[in-house]
Amino acid sequence: MTQDYKKELKPAYTMLTIMEEAGRCLLCYDAPCSKSCPAGTDPARFIRSVRFRNFKGAAETIRGNNALGAVCARVCPTENYCQLGCSRSGIDKPIDIGGIQRFVTDFEEKTGMKILEKGPATGKKVAIVGGGPAGLQAAASLLQKGYEVDIYEKNEKPGGFLRNGIPEYRLPNHIVDVEVERIAGLGAKFCCGTEVDGAKLEELKKDYDAVLVAVGIGEAQILDMFKDNPYACPGITFLAEVAKKGGEIDLPDNAVVIGGGDTAMDAATTLKILGVQNVTCVTRKELADFRASREELETARANNVTIIDGYAPVEVDGKEVKFKHRRLKSELEIEADLFVLAVGQKSSAGKLGLDTASFEDIHADGNVFVAGDIVQGDKTVVAAVQKGKDAAEAIDKFLGGK
Amino acid sequence: MVKKDLSVEFLGVHFENPFCLSSSPVGNCYEMCAKCYDAGWGGIVFKTIGPADFLIDEVSPRFDALTKEGTPFVGFKNMEQIAEHSLEENLADLRKLKENYPDKVLIASIMGPTEKDWEELARLVTEAGADMIEMNLSCPQMTSHAMGSDVGTNPELCKKFCQAVKRGSSLPMMAKMTPNITDMVPVAQACLEGGADGIAAINTIKSICNVDLNRKIGLPIINGKSSVSGYSGKAVKPVALRFVQQLRDGIPGVPISGIGGIETWEDAAEFLLLGATTLQITTAVMQYGYRIVEDLKNGLEHYMEEQGVDSLMDLVGAANGNMIPAENLDRDYVVYPEFDNDKCIGCGRCYISCFDGAHQAITWDDEKRRPSCDHDKCVGCHLCVLVCPVRAIGKGEIVMKPGRKGSPEEKAV
Repeated sequence: MTQDYKKELKPAYTMLTIMEEAGRCLLCYDAPCSKSCPAGTDPARFIRSVRFRNFKGAAETIRGNNALGAVCARVCPTENYCQLGCSRSGIDKPIDIGGIQRFVTDFEEKTGMKILEKGPATGKKVAIVGGGPAGLQAAASLLQKGYEVDIYEKNEKPGGFLRNGIPEYRLPNHIVDVEVERIAGLGAKFCCGTEVDGAKLEELKKDYDAVLVAVGIGEAQILDMFKDNPYACPGITFLAEVAKKGGEIDLPDNAVVIGGGDTAMDAATTLKILGVQNVTCVTRKELADFRASREELETARANNVTIIDGYAPVEVDGKEVKFKHRRLKSELEIEADLFVLAVGQKSSAGKLGLDTASFEDIHADGNVFVAGDIVQGDKTVVAAVQKGKDAAEAIDKFLGGK
Repeated sequence: MVKKDLSVEFLGVHFENPFCLSSSPVGNCYEMCAKCYDAGWGGIVFKTIGPADFLIDEVSPRFDALTKEGTPFVGFKNMEQIAEHSLEENLADLRKLKENYPDKVLIASIMGPTEKDWEELARLVTEAGADMIEMNLSCPQMTSHAMGSDVGTNPELCKKFCQAVKRGSSLPMMAKMTPNITDMVPVAQACLEGGADGIAAINTIKSICNVDLNRKIGLPIINGKSSVSGYSGKAVKPVALRFVQQLRDGIPGVPISGIGGIETWEDAAEFLLLGATTLQITTAVMQYGYRIVEDLKNGLEHYMEEQGVDSLMDLVGAANGNMIPAENLDRDYVVYPEFDNDKCIGCGRCYISCFDGAHQAITWDDEKRRPSCDHDKCVGCHLCVLVCPVRAIGKGEIVMKPGRKGSPEEKAV
């Protein structure tokens, strides 16, 4: 396993191969793909532009709708959204919509296109707490509507989960940098390394016309039986550590990943790519109702992760953990140097003195709004993008915009 | 988001953009044309209107397509004649279109067997509100030999009919040429002498696309038989571009409406650069719908921005001067191909084509599966460049032929 952690696993299309893929598109009437994006992306429109060799027009279609188009192109579980109803499946397999979007946004970057424009100034200011996908999209939408936007980010760089939670072989930092720079270019000011607590939130509420809280669900959870176990580490903590060190971490000889979601697959694949000999992913769910996206599962398998489904941990003693099958009479014992627990995350909104339960409404209280994973709905980047757009709309309405 | 002015002036008429439907099945009634205008097209050449007593009786089926590997519709064959609706219905549609879309350009295509018919039709479509007339002198599948492409190869007849149209109407008028002719210039010249203000080129090319091998009948099959009829689509673009260039060459400055295989903004730009001012499209619309105009316009706007021009008129004919007679081309040097071994995937197609189709100048390393070029044999034809599936072969060293004057540095290759 000498695969470079920082190198994108999935190869990019070239100018020749993109025309083959776009040529597979049937250019449907009332295209199903364009009706199934949580963020309102219109793949039928931009694929048609590619088919008719209007790459710049394709970039306008993507970017005009999504400030994180290059990110979504790489991380969106398109199999569950736009590709789900693809008519091409009636012939062979769906169009690789994410791959085409990646080609187009790469083209946009290479040709230095400036598609988004700052709106005429309203003279009003909005503070955004959290520089993750929802906060970034909200910033872009508000800037286009003419608001001043300051983003408060606790880490050194904005990006949130995009930078800390998604491995670089799926989403290189460079892509996040370019998306962030584009939003900065629209006039966003980033206050990085600034943790916002309850007192600071009160301050922001006074200093700004509106505050958007988009802090995400970055608090790691761990199973009680692994509390204080020195060999256990939460999935997002592990991925953040790898991301921070660019893959240069101390490697265990073998590792067990517990969980069956995307974070579990990412952690397991990362361990393999970094060179860990044995990586076993044990998941309570059975493969038939797996939570991880099909593509993530396939990537883990392609990188030789051992996946054992249907087993839940029942007992742990140092490096040894015992699992039992949920339905069958079957037990499993594994000894490992590292246990990565990808068993869910909690909202980070508690620190701000806000109710940590999922928000139902994006208008929280007074001039405070919420967006992103702390709001009910899908916990995907593309869902966060839409929540960011919704919050920007709500704030604009609240502040007297059209 | 790009925003450029795509408007053009053609024969004194203002088009908000150069994209028009050509006279064909795609502009056959009010509903179609209204949808087309709504989609953003600049103009429509309504399906050719004939005299009241000329009855249209079509065959079924009436189309065929040439395909190649995975690409449908490389070329398209159709056997439809002119508008099948009655003269009154067509004129009523023209009236309604002009009434509801006063800012869009409406062009009436007409065709008749006699001078009297041409004159009368010109008068009728003018009264109905058309902005311009196009004379269809070129449909290759008419059931009457007094109409269609047979007429279009006869300069004197064309001139007479043009004069007749001018007697019937003072509207700007273009004559639509048949490509089923060796030299289009004498016919175009005759039309201009007869009063035509501009030329539309090209109509479809006489063709047989495919033959059913078991039944031994050309396609489409109509009760066991078939007929020669007009060919269009991407495959005819090179032929159309050639005629447009030759018209501009033979009749400098002649206003042209370009037709033939336009699908993308790049195709459109090529027609403009070779001298067309407006552009007409049918086959791509039949295959993909009116919606293609979105990328035609947006792509062309981006091209204008890249080229730094604010008016499309600045691009019209910009490439004409760079087409010269073959005998005047610089034959003093050779450009050798250059192989990028990192891009090369070792398929050997360049080797096969060079040996079997060119000058046996590529040597093939069996071990490494990589080509190299023997400059003693290579003539610089660049067949290898064209067959390479990964574009790993480019232009390399330029060398003067023995005894020729000049230096490689001054060659624009």
